[in-house]
Amino acid sequence: MNFDGKYMLEVFPTLLKYLPLTLVMAVVAMIFAIAIGLLLALVTKNRVPVLYQLANVYISFFRATPTLVQLFLIYYGLPQLFPSFSAMNALTAAIIGLSIKNSAYLAEIFRAALDSVDNGQLEACLAVGMTKAQAYRRIILPQAARNAIPASGNTFIGLVKETSLAFTLGVAELFAQGKMMASASLKFFEIYLAVAIVYWALTIVYSLLQEWLEKRLSKPYKN
Amino acid sequence: MIKVTNLRKQFNDLVVLDGIDIEVAQGEVVAIIGPSGSGKSTLLRCLNLLESPDAGRIEIGQATLDAPKYSRKQAHHLRQQTAMVFQNYNLFKNRTALQNVTESLIITKKMKQSEADKIGRALLEQVGLAHKADSYPITLSGGQQQRVAIARALAVDPHAILLDEPTSALDPELVAEVLQVIKAIAEKRTTMLIVTHEMAFARQVADRIIFMADGKIVEQGTPDELFDRPQNPRTQRFLQQISAPASFIS
Ligand SMILES: Nc1ncnc2c1ncn2[C@@H]1O[C@H](COP(=O)(O)OP(=O)(O)O)[C@@H](O)[C@H]1O
Ligand SMILES: [Mg+2]
Repeated sequence: MNFDGKYMLEVFPTLLKYLPLTLVMAVVAMIFAIAIGLLLALVTKNRVPVLYQLANVYISFFRATPTLVQLFLIYYGLPQLFPSFSAMNALTAAIIGLSIKNSAYLAEIFRAALDSVDNGQLEACLAVGMTKAQAYRRIILPQAARNAIPASGNTFIGLVKETSLAFTLGVAELFAQGKMMASASLKFFEIYLAVAIVYWALTIVYSLLQEWLEKRLSKPYKN
Repeated sequence: MIKVTNLRKQFNDLVVLDGIDIEVAQGEVVAIIGPSGSGKSTLLRCLNLLESPDAGRIEIGQATLDAPKYSRKQAHHLRQQTAMVFQNYNLFKNRTALQNVTESLIITKKMKQSEADKIGRALLEQVGLAHKADSYPITLSGGQQQRVAIARALAVDPHAILLDEPTSALDPELVAEVLQVIKAIAEKRTTMLIVTHEMAFARQVADRIIFMADGKIVEQGTPDELFDRPQNPRTQRFLQQISAPASFIS
């Protein structure tokens, strides 16, 4: 068996230099995805005319098409229609693509989470004179957030892994770097295993964070 | 003061409120009784626009509203005249007992936290739950939750409190503590509209009883008039049915 453990350990410092970029992509895309997803969920939940149909088409399209196709559509396709998009760099395109795709998934998660909050909560808010906006902000969204966290967390873990697709647009991120080092050293197994371990560790750290958050948020609901 | 004129509501083809007229004086306690499905809940829910009426005029306190056309602002204004106590409490699950009571003070009345807490604690004291101020709803019994809900309604300092079967979801042994609290509030001359199946309680606390059936007010009067000398055959039949659980045995 031909496995160079020492080499594998040596590549970690180089790979870890690319961790911040991966994290930035994932976190920025997640923030946009949450914002757009929440908007979509509110539109579909409240059946806002016209917007509701548009939102459904958006959700359906971006859930049903491969992420890679979406990224190419944005990065290589859009500048053809709108020349001003050619100024967009690959990293921006990747973040936009990942935001859009994950917003469609989060929209469904958020809507289910909103549905799981009993309508009596909204009625109770209105009955004490709150506006609907106040009701959502103070009572409904916090309860929905707790319901949404497990599934949203899975989406985020998926998103972290999907950032590796950015290499196809030419973004020099973690996986792209691994690929480059592998072609130089020809130690494919060591490099890709190291890359995999970095993603794995990232997911483990994130899961711990989420567990802590879930515990905090579920305090009011524990008997 | 509450004045309702020719209130109408239907769900699809089902006429649920068929021209309701009600006047409730300041400080009056009115109990609404009637068979299930007669429109009692819908009536209360139209008064704070949780259901939107199809026609009619609603006047409560400072607010007047003509259905079915009204602005969001008018709706909000009308809602602020009342508070509601729901059958299944509907306490804010992510708020402690105290926060349930103070939420409206802080959010809609823009009161300072310290001031709101003071009022909130006094109201919890009034319903006998000062010691549960920091408990979340899930840790409270049904009776305790409903008492918090009553304190929450009082905090709004409304012109009238609407109570929709406030004890129907409670285990029998918890009913008394809630009725006790409502009775104490009634004695302070708080305007109240109470839908209830607790006839003995209605008789005790209400100044007037309204009997509803099929979306109409069939008969109304003082408790003595309505319970002892009902005039309408519908009322007589209803009162007989509820006082004769014998059909249960046979
Ligand atoms: N949101 C709704 N949609 C359709 N039908 C309803 C709705 N709410 C109530 N109803 C119907 O209206 C009638 C009156 O209901 P309700 O006001 O709850 O009666 P009560 O409180 O006297 O039992 C019932 O037949 C009920 O099924
Ligand atoms: Mg009812």
